[in-house]
Amino acid sequence: MATPSRTAVGVENLDFCYGTTKVLKNINLAIAANRVTAFIGPSGCGKSTLLRCINRMNDEIPGARITKGRICLNGTDIHGPKVDVVKLRSEVGMVFQKSNVFPRSIFDNVAYGLRLRGIRDASVIEERVESALRQAALWDEVKDRLQESGFGLSGGQQQRLCIARTIAVKPNVVLMDEPCSALDPIATLKVEELLWELRSEYTFVVVTHSMQQASRISDHTAFFYMGEVVEYGLTQTMFTNPREKRTEEYISGRFG
Amino acid sequence: MNGPHIFRDFDNAIRTLKDELLLMASLTRQNLERAMRSLLDRDIELSRVVIGDDSDVDDLEIRVDQTGMEILVRHHPVASDLRLVISSMKISTCLERISDHAVNIAKRSKKICRGPELPDVALVEPLYVMADNLLRDAMISFTDQNIELAEGLKARDKELDRLHKSLIASLSERLEHAEGKAESLLHLIFVIRSLERAGDLAVNIGEDAVFLGNAKDIRHASKKVTKEARIEADE
Repeated sequence: MATPSRTAVGVENLDFCYGTTKVLKNINLAIAANRVTAFIGPSGCGKSTLLRCINRMNDEIPGARITKGRICLNGTDIHGPKVDVVKLRSEVGMVFQKSNVFPRSIFDNVAYGLRLRGIRDASVIEERVESALRQAALWDEVKDRLQESGFGLSGGQQQRLCIARTIAVKPNVVLMDEPCSALDPIATLKVEELLWELRSEYTFVVVTHSMQQASRISDHTAFFYMGEVVEYGLTQTMFTNPREKRTEEYISGRFG
Repeated sequence: MNGPHIFRDFDNAIRTLKDELLLMASLTRQNLERAMRSLLDRDIELSRVVIGDDSDVDDLEIRVDQTGMEILVRHHPVASDLRLVISSMKISTCLERISDHAVNIAKRSKKICRGPELPDVALVEPLYVMADNLLRDAMISFTDQNIELAEGLKARDKELDRLHKSLIASLSERLEHAEGKAESLLHLIFVIRSLERAGDLAVNIGEDAVFLGNAKDIRHASKKVTKEARIEADE
């Protein structure tokens, strides 16, 4: 049983619209630090939208905006006037459904964020790249070919490379949008094992369509339906004795 | 009750599991009833039928486990579906043990029937009625998810235990002056013991019914309360 944890990301009374369409309705979630939180729900329920709100990725979409409420990262409103979006995104990293390896060497992929943050000292960069690759359980597989293109890696390795690149800048929170949907079962398990290992250092929020994955990897689960959080709680409780009938029907395959 | 599953084969698998378990329960009750009838009516042939039919219950126990495992592997059930699979597999183990006790009663009955007439067998009937009612209601609590009925089984089993205890005391006393009937009385004591165990197993089925209905584990609840009270008192 996980011990109680402080809130890393607090979502308070949040409404979000694409143009005039409200896609998130009065969302309240306290996402625990150093835990894995899974967002589940049918397509179009708003889980990815909320995920992208947490590092303000939706800012790039014309007409998309928060119309009510706020999101706090370690107590600070992420839309506050003093918040630097670039810095926010280094504190809240993101791993996507399809691995987005840059057309560079394995080393440079991981070093990319570090250089972007102005780190120039080669020895520091080397040290951080190795550390991130080790944390991503990729070091042993790539240490002899760090200068080769990242595209030469397998799908699972590419996704772990993206995780290494994300954690190299030491974020507080890592957002993952269906990170294993394009991976084979073994590569999926490696990524899941990685999350479980790294959760003592990072807070993970994972959108997944796989109920088994949510039940395997997460401490807490939020079930979204039509822009609302129907139920949020301990994953074990959610998958053995959910409070809400809609949750039970969705997770057991009776609607959605 | 849950609505239909999107993948219809899942509903078929769950239906099969329930059917197998209910068939097993009905065969188990039938074995117990026949074992008792063989004893009360001095019907050796009927006791042989019980001993032979036990293998059907054994086969069903294996089938329930196979169906349950298949559902776990293929469908990854969650929530009440998961609880249904787990509780069905546990209940099938209880039923198989009750059927084993029916066989034990049938074997003892055969031996008693070969000896002189033993009027004391009639004393056992009320105990059987209590055990059988417990088993019937345990299965009803499971199929109807009747938590209240399930939670009441424990208290009813205590009544059965009291009767069991008094019957053992009474038969032990008779043993002292039994002369030619001592062996038969000893067999009867073992019959009583089997009925008491059948009652306990029915209570276990009721506990599984509660787990299915509201996900609460009420096993050993009274012991837990006592332990907590002791810790509190120590503090």
